[in-house]
Amino acid sequence: MSRALFSIDGFRRGARDGVPLALSIFAYGVGFGLVAAQAGFGVGKAVATSAAIYSGSAQLAAVNLLQTGEATLWALFATILVINARYLLFGATLQPWLWAAGPLRAYGSLLLLGDANWLMTMRAIRAGEVDRAYLAGTGAPVALGWLSGTALGAAAVSVLPRPEALGFDLMLACFAAGMMTAMIKTRTDLLPVLVGAGTAFGIFQLLGPAPAIIGAGLAGAAAAALVHKEPS
Amino acid sequence: MTESFAALLAVMAAAAFLCRVAGFTLMRYVPVSPRVEAALRATPLAVMAGITVLALQAGGLAEGLALASVVGLTLVLRSDVAAALLGVVVVALLRWAGV
Repeated sequence: MSRALFSIDGFRRGARDGVPLALSIFAYGVGFGLVAAQAGFGVGKAVATSAAIYSGSAQLAAVNLLQTGEATLWALFATILVINARYLLFGATLQPWLWAAGPLRAYGSLLLLGDANWLMTMRAIRAGEVDRAYLAGTGAPVALGWLSGTALGAAAVSVLPRPEALGFDLMLACFAAGMMTAMIKTRTDLLPVLVGAGTAFGIFQLLGPAPAIIGAGLAGAAAAALVHKEPS
Repeated sequence: MTESFAALLAVMAAAAFLCRVAGFTLMRYVPVSPRVEAALRATPLAVMAGITVLALQAGGLAEGLALASVVGLTLVLRSDVAAALLGVVVVALLRWAGV
């Protein structure tokens, strides 16, 4: 089997596109570092956590759980599984494209998978990106921002402004709104947007934010599959 | 809590890793028909709509105005990245102004 393109050029393209994302992830990393420091983590432990889990929402939940002093290993495992369940969907959508790079490169790239660079990469795939190194490229500056932000925050730099004051907490939503707008090209594209928005709204009321995102993705995918017409 | 930090870290890393690779691995056994491809293509749009709606629900007027300006700026500037960065500036200014 011949393998898909996986080159330094593709990696560079991804890295360039990942820089604006890395800015907000850096600010988030500072936020996590501050929380971890308050929970008694030193810089080393905070950075190790950021490297090992590499997911802001899951890490915040884990630190909260650890702070209660009643966390079991199973509770930690389950918490992260539930909060990060959306990654099951992210991985599945990347599979047909990424698998063509071969198992080692594909699984290696998945280590750098996050919310923002998944969106960025899905947008690039849609625009015709064929170089599979693009995903790892977008992940590299983001990972750097996340780890350095965590270190800075955990070093208890209480003089830092809170990320909220600078609007960084809204960065992912801003990227989502912008990319969504740019990706709506035909009327067919409006269906998953409307179904996703409605589903997220409903599930959030009932169950909270983590299942709302997964529900939105699944409902949008199902709706698109239902209305899909085979070319005759 | 008696476990060592290394054990905690290993368990948390395992859960996060499982989420990253499980969907990908399972998808290897799903034949990608045009219908499945349509579903895969639609997923990011639905997730982005979901993320935007959650931010609107959690936020107030400042967040709503900022996200609306991102949609408008994307259409005007034809650059979603520039629009997103400007959206962050908009929400920071609105919050600073006390909106």
